[in-house]
Amino acid sequence: MRLTGFTPAASVLCLCAAVASSAFAAGKIFPYNYVQEDLPNGLRLITIPTDYRNIVALYIVVGAGSRNEVEPGKSGFAHLFEHLMFRGTAEYSAERYQQELSSAGAASNAFTTSDFTAYHTTFSKEDLPRILSMEADRFQHLSVDEAAYKTETRAVLGEFNKNSANPQQKLYEVMRATAFRAHTYRHTTMGFLEDVEAMPNEYEYSREFYSRYYRPEYTTIIVVGDVEAKKVRSLVDERWGVWKRGDYKPQIPAEPPQDGPRTANIDWPSPTLPFVEVAYRGPAFADESPETAALDATARLLFDHSAPLYQKLVINEQKLDSLNAGPPDNLDPELFGAIARVKKESDVPQVTKEIIAAIEEFAAKPVDAKTLEALKQHVRYEFVLRMSNSEAIAESVARFVALRRTPEAINRYFDFYAKLTPQDLQRVARQYLTEKNRTVVTLATKAVTK
Amino acid sequence: MIRPLASLLCLGLAASMAASAAGPRVVALPSKSPLVTIRLVFTTGSASDPAAKPGLANLTGAMLGESGTRDLTYKQIVDALYPMATTVHVYSDKEMTTFVGQTHVDNLDRFYGLMRDMILHPGWRDDDFARVRDNTVNALRVSLRGNNDEELGKEELYNLIYSGHPYGHENLGTAAALAGMTVGDLQGFYKAHYTQANLIIGLAGGYPASFAARVTKDFSALPAGQPDSVTLPAPAGIARNQLTIVAKDTRSVAWSFGLPIEVKRGDPDFASLLVAQSYLGQHRLSSGVLFSRMRELRGLNYGDYAYIEYFPRGMFALEPEPNIARRQQIFQIWIRPVEPANAGFALRAAAFELNKLIEKGMSQADFDRTKTFLSKYVNVLTKSKSEELGYAIDSAYYGIPAYGDYLKAALSKLTVEDVNRALKKHLRADRLQLVAIAKDAVALRTALTSGDPTPVTYVTAKPQEVLDEDKIIERLPLGLRAEDVKIVPVEEVFEK
Repeated sequence: MRLTGFTPAASVLCLCAAVASSAFAAGKIFPYNYVQEDLPNGLRLITIPTDYRNIVALYIVVGAGSRNEVEPGKSGFAHLFEHLMFRGTAEYSAERYQQELSSAGAASNAFTTSDFTAYHTTFSKEDLPRILSMEADRFQHLSVDEAAYKTETRAVLGEFNKNSANPQQKLYEVMRATAFRAHTYRHTTMGFLEDVEAMPNEYEYSREFYSRYYRPEYTTIIVVGDVEAKKVRSLVDERWGVWKRGDYKPQIPAEPPQDGPRTANIDWPSPTLPFVEVAYRGPAFADESPETAALDATARLLFDHSAPLYQKLVINEQKLDSLNAGPPDNLDPELFGAIARVKKESDVPQVTKEIIAAIEEFAAKPVDAKTLEALKQHVRYEFVLRMSNSEAIAESVARFVALRRTPEAINRYFDFYAKLTPQDLQRVARQYLTEKNRTVVTLATKAVTK
Repeated sequence: MIRPLASLLCLGLAASMAASAAGPRVVALPSKSPLVTIRLVFTTGSASDPAAKPGLANLTGAMLGESGTRDLTYKQIVDALYPMATTVHVYSDKEMTTFVGQTHVDNLDRFYGLMRDMILHPGWRDDDFARVRDNTVNALRVSLRGNNDEELGKEELYNLIYSGHPYGHENLGTAAALAGMTVGDLQGFYKAHYTQANLIIGLAGGYPASFAARVTKDFSALPAGQPDSVTLPAPAGIARNQLTIVAKDTRSVAWSFGLPIEVKRGDPDFASLLVAQSYLGQHRLSSGVLFSRMRELRGLNYGDYAYIEYFPRGMFALEPEPNIARRQQIFQIWIRPVEPANAGFALRAAAFELNKLIEKGMSQADFDRTKTFLSKYVNVLTKSKSEELGYAIDSAYYGIPAYGDYLKAALSKLTVEDVNRALKKHLRADRLQLVAIAKDAVALRTALTSGDPTPVTYVTAKPQEVLDEDKIIERLPLGLRAEDVKIVPVEEVFEK
């Protein structure tokens, strides 16, 4: 049923894969049948029926995050918008919106990342029509007056405040500001404190931000759970089909190649264990080549609990109480980083050297094939175990949709993962994990001796 | 259908925890899912800590869950678990210590064998002990006390309300007590409390038909024992509002306050207070009165919520973790960090809303909406099999039907009069324990005990009705005298 009279979907992909009883049966790793459809206005709809009964998980992904905050002094607006979207419309005031969510028994929230903003709601299946209708209304007709806008900027400052007690937040801020000089990844999703404090005076800019990015061509709706794809499509047609396409394309500054190693140190005002983060400039997310999968594998083989370095520093010598790493998986070139929490401040220089040495050794000597195969098995099971309910499925899909607008990116990425060789890992490590690309940031209650 | 060796609690059939020590109980939720969840819940926790060894129950659980077994080193366990992409997660509260693992059914045999041996045949190695104890001290001093003002305030609130009571110390213990513990202490606790009588075996997912019997048989190797039976006195009464300010060099002020309640899951007024709590401040949702009046209307902070059950790590989780059931609970309000200049006003604003709710009660419309919300939201709480299993185990503990059925039945009989009566019976705003984490503790004490108003500052004009209400809030009597306020340097918290 299409009440708005626009033409049928420009493209409809119906991608089917049998749900395998074994995680290693032949076939794609993403085990659910899904329907992917593009409306003529550019909006994309992905519907994934599951066997989890009664519940529907809705994710609406907007392709705008802190990466899109291109003007100086305007950091933090993607995140601010995540807040403003709960401020109501002419049809649904903020209060009525909340009342409707309450009567649907819905759990609703949102989050912002460097690359995207996601609005998610989980609720009983009979409430899908009204939830989709309300969401269509706020995405198209948000109405925030200046007073409400200013009030919300203080809630954002409150969020900055609640994060500020955690030294890892500061470490994250300083790492980004040190490793990036041109690209908008230089600031966190919260934004620079001075920009957050100045937000109350930027009401007009907030309207501009909404007009640029809250458009169908930036948006993907993901519906997962006890649903039928045809019915979902007709509900979406009804309220989302009239949404006007925009034409804004941000000019995101490219980060020039790093010109050599960088360091920074943070003096933390209250007692904490010291931290060290060692990061390298990496590539953008790739599902058409093995780089992202290779760096993910590298991060795990170097820093997971079974890794030799983890066993040495955390389990045997007990110099650290945590060691974690994150590979780059963003739209633009991002950092490959490892963070250690060190038990004694005097060990920080040695721990830093050992992390760097382990990375250099990894680039010099290929990992053995058996270890790599165990990792591949781990990664595949990890993904399958994550699909434990409709909300978790929707969240996993949303992260890939933010990068490529399709769950098929999951299959492509894991296909590359399955084919990785020790030589792939070595080649990618030699390309990216170099001294020239390295940034080291330390944090301690007082300055760490270098 | 599985035939257990002992008693079987399946799909909502509940049994009392006062059951005899006839062997481990089993809660089973078989399904066709390729994922299998195993929850092994021992009904023992920090309430059973010896007085001189706070933290012993938690450290014993952590030692089992994060160390080697009799036959395998921790490294060998980590390596064996790695290809399966799973771990044994352990957490310990006042009355429960839970080991939970989830695996693909492909790996069930291997995973279960490791999990079983970690609990039945621990290695008790000194190097594992040193590492696990270090991690616990760091969790206490650094992660909780140093880096998370909000959780610090919430935990201190519980410790103050239950002062002198088996619940009155941090689950992790104190740094001094942990320093004095030995592997022998842990072995002693293990022998006394890791018994069949204290064990509930929870299984969910597509495990084979014989699996429940196998697990039950394996764990029948534990001593039969008797259920933990720590006597819980009523918490000491709070004669008038009491404030503790933890002095810490931090940017903003974190608040938590509350009072003990005589209501837990299964009690007659539970559904009434749950409705009131949800209306006042449903966790991490925008629907509550506190959120609406403090954050949305006034922009004071990031959010404000209310609780009638323990809910740790709420800044990281949107829904509560199951298997932290308790025989005694508190009512709590959590005010997320506020700018220091607005700290006094934020506290008064929350107390104002609490007072208003107690005095005026809920309207029929608000009651109807909240009741509808809760009767549907329970589906969200149990959206995965692992969570459904956790809730089923808690229902067994409380002696109630499956939580969804229990709650829907209780809500269906509830009236707004019930809620408003329960509010007056159980809650009040003048006998509270209040906890703040603040940099300038002396200034905050002065501001709240001087009798002067604590006005709010805004960045934007507010409607006159809000400003009029602010005038009442900023002068709301808190009844705090200087002698009702205690200042504690953060360095002293959790030390002894």
